[in-house]
Amino acid sequence: MKLPHYIIMVSIVILLGCNRNYKDNINEKASVSALDELPENPLLLSAITFSINPGEATMSTLYGNTIALRHAMSKSNSFYPNGAVLYEVTWNQKADSLWYGANIPNQIIQVERLTFAKDSLPKYELYAGHPLKKVPFENVTKRIAFVISQRMANTP
Amino acid sequence: MKKGIKIIVIMLLAFIALQFWKPEEIEYSTPTKSLTNVPEEVNTILRNSCFDCHSNTTNLSWFDKITPANFIVSSHIKDARKVLNFSNWDDLNKQKQNAVLFYAYNKILSGEMPLKSYTALHPSAKLDERSMVVLKNYVTSIAARKTYADILLTPNSKDDNKILGNNTISDYSKVKPSLNNIKYIPDFRNWKAVSTSDRFDNGSMRIIFGNSIAVKAIEEHQTNPWPDGAIFAKTAWKQKTESDGSVSAGEFIQVEFMIKDAKKYESTKGWGWARWKGNNLKPYGDKPNFDQECIACHNPVKNNDYVFTTPLHLNSNTFNIYKKSK
Repeated sequence: MKLPHYIIMVSIVILLGCNRNYKDNINEKASVSALDELPENPLLLSAITFSINPGEATMSTLYGNTIALRHAMSKSNSFYPNGAVLYEVTWNQKADSLWYGANIPNQIIQVERLTFAKDSLPKYELYAGHPLKKVPFENVTKRIAFVISQRMANTP
Repeated sequence: MKKGIKIIVIMLLAFIALQFWKPEEIEYSTPTKSLTNVPEEVNTILRNSCFDCHSNTTNLSWFDKITPANFIVSSHIKDARKVLNFSNWDDLNKQKQNAVLFYAYNKILSGEMPLKSYTALHPSAKLDERSMVVLKNYVTSIAARKTYADILLTPNSKDDNKILGNNTISDYSKVKPSLNNIKYIPDFRNWKAVSTSDRFDNGSMRIIFGNSIAVKAIEEHQTNPWPDGAIFAKTAWKQKTESDGSVSAGEFIQVEFMIKDAKKYESTKGWGWARWKGNNLKPYGDKPNFDQECIACHNPVKNNDYVFTTPLHLNSNTFNIYKKSK
């Protein structure tokens, strides 16, 4: 075997080895991927609350930007101020391999984005599929009503 | 040759003499009745695989009674009973009993229990596949959250976990530190959510928050071991079932912290452990070494630096390569 071939082979083995290591510790599949067409990574915003749909075996976390978080922390209403952005991220669930009795996020199935401007209904966008792409959606009012009806999960 | 025999005889005599030296007598044969509310089939499995150490009914083999083995056996049993003694089953409320069985099942599932050293000498205590299925089906049936079909069949599931109104603590400096001297960390709601967990076993739901050091470690794949300064806040709420069967975060139960400092917390596996319960944030534990309980539970994940949570990949660079390249 020629030296360059040898080097490439060794590099592949090392890289594969590293990858395997990463997979053990991080839930890569449940994360936002480089191919998802989102304007930002919602998982890096603040978690306001989360919900579970046992019938569909899904779980959703409501994220907000700083303006949205500040509102959710201080007020118990749905009138998010101008500039607030909410993301409702929904995963299908999988059994936690480390604890029987728990479900954890498996893969993102959809991301709903609500942006608030002055005195109008929030703008609603739906991202779905693998990778996540913006898709048209009809029943917007109902989903907006649900997302903004959620309150901050209470901590003392 | 003669010398050899002499040595053997001396050793034998010493061994016989040793037999008069025995560990302090512990309760061995008090009969333990079958666990209340638990089917006979499950009782049989637990009796066969767990009761020798985790109850007052211990069936010792002849070799368990020989000095020095008896010292090891006796200390194992004492420790085991401290953690869980099925003879005191009726002292626990139903909720605690269910939690104990889920905990026990997970200890078995992870291979930690029954102890390998025990099953090596008592192979009949090993749980076969069928026993595992029986246990799994049973614990599933006692899970706090019923299956979806059960929820739909129950008209207007009772809302007994009403969210309490405005109960924010105004002065966090008045929150008592835990007995192992860890101070409450109030600002974790501004941290990032590392993951979420739907605990259908005990009807709770959790957001695991991570501080900036933990998030940076995730971004850089430095999560095993976690770096010093990484902190997790595992926050638990009661599951509140809505009329359509969906579940939202109800009453606050507790927040648990794991604070990484390999040197400072060397004696507790490199982590500082603390838990505050309820809306008055009462520190958990009645003695400074209460954290041994935390470690015992986290022991099956020692290869993950004692962390159960599999974090989401929080990375500001891994989204939308299209947009960035434009």
